Amino acid sequence: MQLFIRRYGTLIGFVAILIFFSVMLPGTFPTARNWLNITQQTSMLMVVAAGMTIVMVMGDFDLSVGSAASLAGIVAALMMAAGQPIWAAVAVALLVGLLGGAFNGAMVSLVGILPFIATLATMTMFSGIAFVVSGGKTISGRAIPEDFGNFARGGIPLGEWGGVAISLPNLSIIAIVVVLAVWVLLEQTTYGRRLYAIGGNMEAAHLSGIAVKRLRLIAFSLTGLAAAAGGLMYASRVASANPVQGSGLMLNAIAAVFLGTTMSRHGEPRILATVVGVIVLGVLDNGLTQMSVDSYVRQVLVGALILLAVAASSVTQGRR
Amino acid sequence: MAPSVPLLSATSVTKAYAGVPALSGASLVVAPGEIHALMGENGAGKSTLIKILAGVVAPDTAEITVNGERVSIDSTKAAYRLGLRFIHQEFNVVPTLSVAENIFMGRRYPRRAGLLVDWKSLNREAQRALHRLGIDHIDPSQNLGELSLGDQMLVRISAALLDDAKLYVMDEPTAALTRDESERLFRVLREIRASGSSVLYVSHRLDEIMALCDKATVLRDGRSIDSGALSNITHDDLVSLMIGRKVEEAYPKATAQPRETTVFAASGLATAGLNPVSLSLREGEVLGIAGLSGSGQAELIRAIFGDAKLTAGTMTLSGAPYAPSSPAAAWQSGVAYVPRERRAEGLVMRRPIFENITLAHLKRQSRAGTWLTPNREKRFAAELGANMRLKAVGPAQDVLELSGGNQQKVVFAKAVAGNPRLLLLEEPTRGVDVGAKFDIYSIVRELTAKGAAVILVSSDLPELIGISDRIAIMRQGEITTTVDAAGLREDDLINLCYGRATGMVA
Repeated sequence: MQLFIRRYGTLIGFVAILIFFSVMLPGTFPTARNWLNITQQTSMLMVVAAGMTIVMVMGDFDLSVGSAASLAGIVAALMMAAGQPIWAAVAVALLVGLLGGAFNGAMVSLVGILPFIATLATMTMFSGIAFVVSGGKTISGRAIPEDFGNFARGGIPLGEWGGVAISLPNLSIIAIVVVLAVWVLLEQTTYGRRLYAIGGNMEAAHLSGIAVKRLRLIAFSLTGLAAAAGGLMYASRVASANPVQGSGLMLNAIAAVFLGTTMSRHGEPRILATVVGVIVLGVLDNGLTQMSVDSYVRQVLVGALILLAVAASSVTQGRR
Repeated sequence: MAPSVPLLSATSVTKAYAGVPALSGASLVVAPGEIHALMGENGAGKSTLIKILAGVVAPDTAEITVNGERVSIDSTKAAYRLGLRFIHQEFNVVPTLSVAENIFMGRRYPRRAGLLVDWKSLNREAQRALHRLGIDHIDPSQNLGELSLGDQMLVRISAALLDDAKLYVMDEPTAALTRDESERLFRVLREIRASGSSVLYVSHRLDEIMALCDKATVLRDGRSIDSGALSNITHDDLVSLMIGRKVEEAYPKATAQPRETTVFAASGLATAGLNPVSLSLREGEVLGIAGLSGSGQAELIRAIFGDAKLTAGTMTLSGAPYAPSSPAAAWQSGVAYVPRERRAEGLVMRRPIFENITLAHLKRQSRAGTWLTPNREKRFAAELGANMRLKAVGPAQDVLELSGGNQQKVVFAKAVAGNPRLLLLEEPTRGVDVGAKFDIYSIVRELTAKGAAVILVSSDLPELIGISDRIAIMRQGEITTTVDAAGLREDDLINLCYGRATGMVA
């Protein structure tokens, strides 16, 4: 019974939340339109959390993803404002994320600084750079090409449902593609296997011939890349960029991965569990907003839920 | 208390993990004032039984009495209140706290003015606890982490002896102790016995048990096979009881002689902790490395395995230059390694058996070096496991759930999975029972028969003599001498390690 709660408590809680909102908001919550909406609302977080899962598999953290996301948005917006083509702006912004992540990786694996401290430092650095290059201003309006903003509003039409035209948002498609890519990477490749080995026992992994330093560096780079992608998606969604717009992503991404770890056997991060974690957070946000619950009360509820999930999952682990 | 009432009695103890029985009706009866050995192979159920007594694991069924009274031990606190003390290999210690703080952990620190910790008397009390074991070389204010493993064990033991308990349960307390330290411990255990308390003693060292213990209970496959006084049983009978068959030899016979071709040679090999060392191994040869601990054995192995920066020297493998820049390069070249600490260095405990085995061979155990093929890996692991008599539910079982001997077999399976040309072994049978030891030696023999060479670092002298063809003695980072293992006696080897003349230096 204890084992059951530990393993499936979060899922059961999730289902309970779904039932609760469906009963409270029968007209608006359990509709395809709302669900597609949720996938769009959570798509940025999904991408960033997927990237976060990669480093957390090794037992590491990246606190700089929020700043990296903001910085990527700013870089892309500045380039577009300067008349560069969208593809070039996006490419450079992604590159900035990748390099920022590689810098994190170098600090952690080559220099040997604890991830918590290294990424805490780069979190402030990336944020500072975003302020410096943007002059602290929000870049919006005509500076941003219409196509860039339109992308987030677009989607693939799925036909009609209940007399309303619905479509799968482009942002959701990106999130699905990123999740699939991370799933393949972590669950289907030798690279992922090695990351899990590093997370389980770094010394044993090293002595088993795993290039721990290089793999860690790559993992942090990928997390940075995903953070930049998340930042770009955000910028596209609001058709503007400011130096703090990604700041909420970091804690939510870590929270989503942690919610996910409550569903795995030994508490290790799994990408599909992270997806559930992100959706739990997204559904809560969506449902509580629709019920007009004050946003600060919402924060309290979300925090309490995370504590509850992690507490339930350690019911049996505590006695060891 | 009538003398006929046992101090501790645990009967009909059963416990299954995920449907796999670890104990099926074991019983254990300890009388007051005796040192009682609990014996059995790894996986026989000793650890589970101890964990149940310690209140760490809940039994499926059990009848436990202490001084004739029915009790239920549902927490470590309950065990403590009943007067049971546990000294375990993996006992909780905090290396960054002082020796005195560790000794008094979980107890009330002496106070000044009822509030401030009285450090002076804390240290004095700790000193007294250490003195009881005859230890005067440990400073109680030192950080525990600065001590050798043996000294750390002594600290733990003195902490457990601090208050008068009824029963002390010791799991392999001498694993990291020197002879002198062990002797001191035994003296204290005999004092405990004289005072009317009892000791439940778990060890794989039969000689120790024969010398120290009054009675023994032998577990096999989760059942109590026999229990009785040790005065009327022989060493060999005891071993047969444990493994359930007659023992002929402790070491499998070599089926082939070393050949002439040189597999591995090192000349002038030097690192930070290693003075220039030269050695060479022929096909099928086992070179033992003996020496006092910290004489450079570990450094030598790390240098050969590419895990240390060479300051001088060259190596060849099968005649070709060999200069590994990392353990990864060493594995690539066909050099395999069984590290000293299987939990800390050898295994990813929370991953399945097959993942541990293929971890060093993922390039070949995958499609195009990139795509995982778990089913193929599982078949491969199952085959290897069957070959070395690995006891497990299946290749997907987590290593965590295996007994120590079977965990070590997984480490060996990883090492031999790539058909290495050179196998590096460090303390390969530490904490491994008699039966699994024999299986492990057989793996080594099988490998040498195929032409591989083996370097064996071990502090187990009979093992060194039994398995090696030649033995190199290391002192202060150098190989001082190399002798033939055949016919070598243990005391000769000890003398060589201490650098005393024996008149038989080769």
